[in-house]
Amino acid sequence: MNQFFYLIPALTILIGALTLMFMSMYEKFSVKNFIVVSSIFLLIALGFSLANVNSSYSVQPFSNFLNNVLTFDTFSNFFNILLILGTILTLLIGEHYFQHRSYFKGEFFSILLFALFGMMLLAHANELVTAYIALEIASFSIYIMVGYNTEDSKRVEAIFKYLVLGSFIGAFYLLGVVLIFGATASTNLADISTFISTANADNMILLYIGLTLILFTFLFKVAAFPFQSWVLDVYRGAPMVITAYMASTFKIAIFSFFLRTILNYISPIIDFWDEIITVIILLTLLFGTWLAITQKIVKRMLAASSIVHTGYLLLAFIALSYKDGHITNIDSAYATMFYLIAYLFSALGTFGLASHIISETNVKVTYDDFKGLAKQRPFLAAMMTIFLFSLAGIPSTIGFIGKLYVFTEAINAGYVGLTIVAIIATIISVYYYFKLIAMMYFYPPKTNCAIEEFNDKRVSTYAIAFVAILTILGGIGSAIVFFIPALNIDEIINLTQLAVQSLFIK
Amino acid sequence: MSSDILSFIIFLPAVVAIGLMLTTRDVNTIRNIAFLTTTVILALVLKIYIDFVPSGGMQFVTNVPWIETYGINYYIGLDGFSLTILMMIAILIPTSYLLLWEGKTKGYWINMLLVQSGVTGTLLSLDVVLFYFFWEVMLLPVFLMIGSFGFGDKVFTTIKVTVYTMAGSLLMFIAILYLGVAYHNEFGVWSFSYDKLMQITTIPYDTKVWLFLAFLAAFGIKIPIFPLHTWIMETYKNSPTGAVFLLSSIMAKLGVYAIVRFMIPLFPEIYIEFSTWFVAIGLFGLIYFGIAALMQSDIKRMFAYSSASHLSFISAGIFSLNSYGINGALYLIIAHAIATGALFLLVGLMHEQTGFKTIKDLGGIAKKAPIFTFIFAVMLFANVGLPGTNGFVSELLIIFGIYEFNHALGYVSALTVIIGASYMLWMFQRAILQDRPEGSDELTMRDLKVKEVLGLAPWVILVFLMGFYPEVFMNKFEPTVTHYLNDILQIGAAK
Repeated sequence: MNQFFYLIPALTILIGALTLMFMSMYEKFSVKNFIVVSSIFLLIALGFSLANVNSSYSVQPFSNFLNNVLTFDTFSNFFNILLILGTILTLLIGEHYFQHRSYFKGEFFSILLFALFGMMLLAHANELVTAYIALEIASFSIYIMVGYNTEDSKRVEAIFKYLVLGSFIGAFYLLGVVLIFGATASTNLADISTFISTANADNMILLYIGLTLILFTFLFKVAAFPFQSWVLDVYRGAPMVITAYMASTFKIAIFSFFLRTILNYISPIIDFWDEIITVIILLTLLFGTWLAITQKIVKRMLAASSIVHTGYLLLAFIALSYKDGHITNIDSAYATMFYLIAYLFSALGTFGLASHIISETNVKVTYDDFKGLAKQRPFLAAMMTIFLFSLAGIPSTIGFIGKLYVFTEAINAGYVGLTIVAIIATIISVYYYFKLIAMMYFYPPKTNCAIEEFNDKRVSTYAIAFVAILTILGGIGSAIVFFIPALNIDEIINLTQLAVQSLFIK
Repeated sequence: MSSDILSFIIFLPAVVAIGLMLTTRDVNTIRNIAFLTTTVILALVLKIYIDFVPSGGMQFVTNVPWIETYGINYYIGLDGFSLTILMMIAILIPTSYLLLWEGKTKGYWINMLLVQSGVTGTLLSLDVVLFYFFWEVMLLPVFLMIGSFGFGDKVFTTIKVTVYTMAGSLLMFIAILYLGVAYHNEFGVWSFSYDKLMQITTIPYDTKVWLFLAFLAAFGIKIPIFPLHTWIMETYKNSPTGAVFLLSSIMAKLGVYAIVRFMIPLFPEIYIEFSTWFVAIGLFGLIYFGIAALMQSDIKRMFAYSSASHLSFISAGIFSLNSYGINGALYLIIAHAIATGALFLLVGLMHEQTGFKTIKDLGGIAKKAPIFTFIFAVMLFANVGLPGTNGFVSELLIIFGIYEFNHALGYVSALTVIIGASYMLWMFQRAILQDRPEGSDELTMRDLKVKEVLGLAPWVILVFLMGFYPEVFMNKFEPTVTHYLNDILQIGAAK
């Protein structure tokens, strides 16, 4: 019974997904009903996850049934909370968008919860095939959701590009798994870890090749150079809310599995890939920046800038290294996790807010469409500004603290040159983010983006405001505003520390 | 607790600004509340000024953890340097409100308040990350002001000034992080307070030079030091009066202050070694900007160059390694803030009234607006450094300082004052005194109102008071300077 408790969040989401699937057979439920039902399931799951947030544990329950392929520990719980939170916020921010697009039917919400279920499994997985299945559950759900936008001719391009390339890279993953199995005779990461610590270098070649192939999958999913070419078109063709979901939540799920693998199982050999990743980070930052400044459509600009953010995340990733039997710079794992939170809020905020604004119209969302937003919707424009500040890493937002952590750790690990490149990318990012702010504030309205009867008082607006408040609170904390008792920034980093330490519980 | 008073001063404007954002009152009420806030702060600062013990080192300190993981503290306090500049900010801002009184919107006043929070925070923070925090934040309201209320190609100007200054700041940011990491590697704990970072001994010389230059990039752009000045002309020309006032008379001074507060203590030996270069660059900037100012036809661009010219002089004084130079530079910071601030506000007023801003279109102002002309002249003379004004005292001190540093450069600096006098007086003659050419219409220009005269009166009094009794003011910061210099030269020599 006690072990069952840990399974509840994931099971709740699964049951929720099935319930919604059955509900969608009946015509009488409106989109609003679906949103309410899925929110209830998500909140229940979130509640159960939050109950464990401060305890440090690591169990592999029902081993005769689950065969030790899933680990339930503080680490996975931490990521579950983020994933569920990301989904709830996507759902609530998108409420306006869902209601004004005829193609969002009941089964969409079922697919959304299936995607979340896959991501949560991915955070729990400690076996390569299980991870693959979890990854594909999530990916396939997202492929379908990308293709939902029947009003946009770009959707076919988007879904095929993503589906074909995604399946292709999935084959790489499987080949990697096969090679690793050939070397180690197991796909369980714990066995692989034992193999690494006992085998001599000659037997490791297959393992290195296999892990490199798996690394490619990882880089594809987080859109690092040279696997980034799908991002712009897929983000462009997908419904705006789904773009928000992919950019923020899906990225977290990917990082959760690979962070677990690197920290816990293959840590003795992680320095092998340092050179490759250094080059990849360099090119990701440069190429992403170049893409971002040349875009005219806001969605594509944000997509390109998400590539740059991947570069920052990898910068914290590379700072991890292994020496004398333990991981040095373990702090950079906390930095990665903090940056994921920061990026979750900021990306969800920007993409979500953009989707909220265009809900009742059908525009391409170019920079011009944002002209004069500050005069029509001062409140929304102010929140958009907060999110863009956060993405650009301006102090007083959570994005700044995230960058502070990541860059400090990168310098601490000796990657000063890369950090300087990252800083230059940040300087240029100020240009393309501030251009959007300038559009909102310094031009007269064009009246085609947000129409007159636009209703501000709805769930979406409140959800966005909530995210905006979190963004600011995360960047200021309670020490400066000491007269307001708020969540301290250190609380978050303490939670990440607790989560990472639970990985090493034997 | 008396130490909370500084936090109160920092955050009161921001809190009021957020409150005002949410109200729907008319602009007059908002302006009055904003003005009241600044006067409350002035009163509090006066109280601090009286309570301050000149020889007491760092006072009114608050030091509480902010981000404990990296040892970043909310660490604020003030000494002679910051007190002087705090006093200056507290006096300048409310009186500038009186000159900006009419015809502004709600956003204008809210941004003015936010800037005040930003600059005060920058001035008082002693933790470098906290300093960086405020340093960036203080720019954002100005960015909004230029874009919303500016003239000409304002969007381009806004983006340019933002990217330009952020580029410098981010380079400084990486240097800050590098220092923090170096401290962590040497002592095993994280800290970012400036007095802790001063203890680092492990950074190799070459790296230190790079770090020094990274800091200089941030401060040099804000001041601006030649050749990092290319943003100011357009910005000053296209910005609304309030933003120009804030940029030139407050934020540029904070750049100089930050050099004194952070850069020199952190890298004393590099400061000593490169000082000849920087004094020379400062003097070159003084001459270059002075000659450029002579050539300008747009009055705001002329003042932009003149301001840059004076700030180069200030930085030359800072780098001159002796108490004359640094005392003079600090004194000139105040004198220049008052004089340039007043001149920019008056020019802004003139531009609003007449609709012209090129020198050749103006003329005959003296007849129409005698009080305006009088105050304009006083500020002009203070700026030029006429004996009896505060500008004279400070320029003399800096020239002494540079002379003591290097005789040849001292002579050069003494001669450069002539350039300043020439462009200022030439402009004054053409734009204010001389009648417009025959046949052209008279300009519409009213004289100053009582409110505006009241606003400027303290500045005029200060110009003369500081010119005749410099000791009264210097006593507050001189012990700090002496103490500071001793420390720096000792540490620098020891390394």
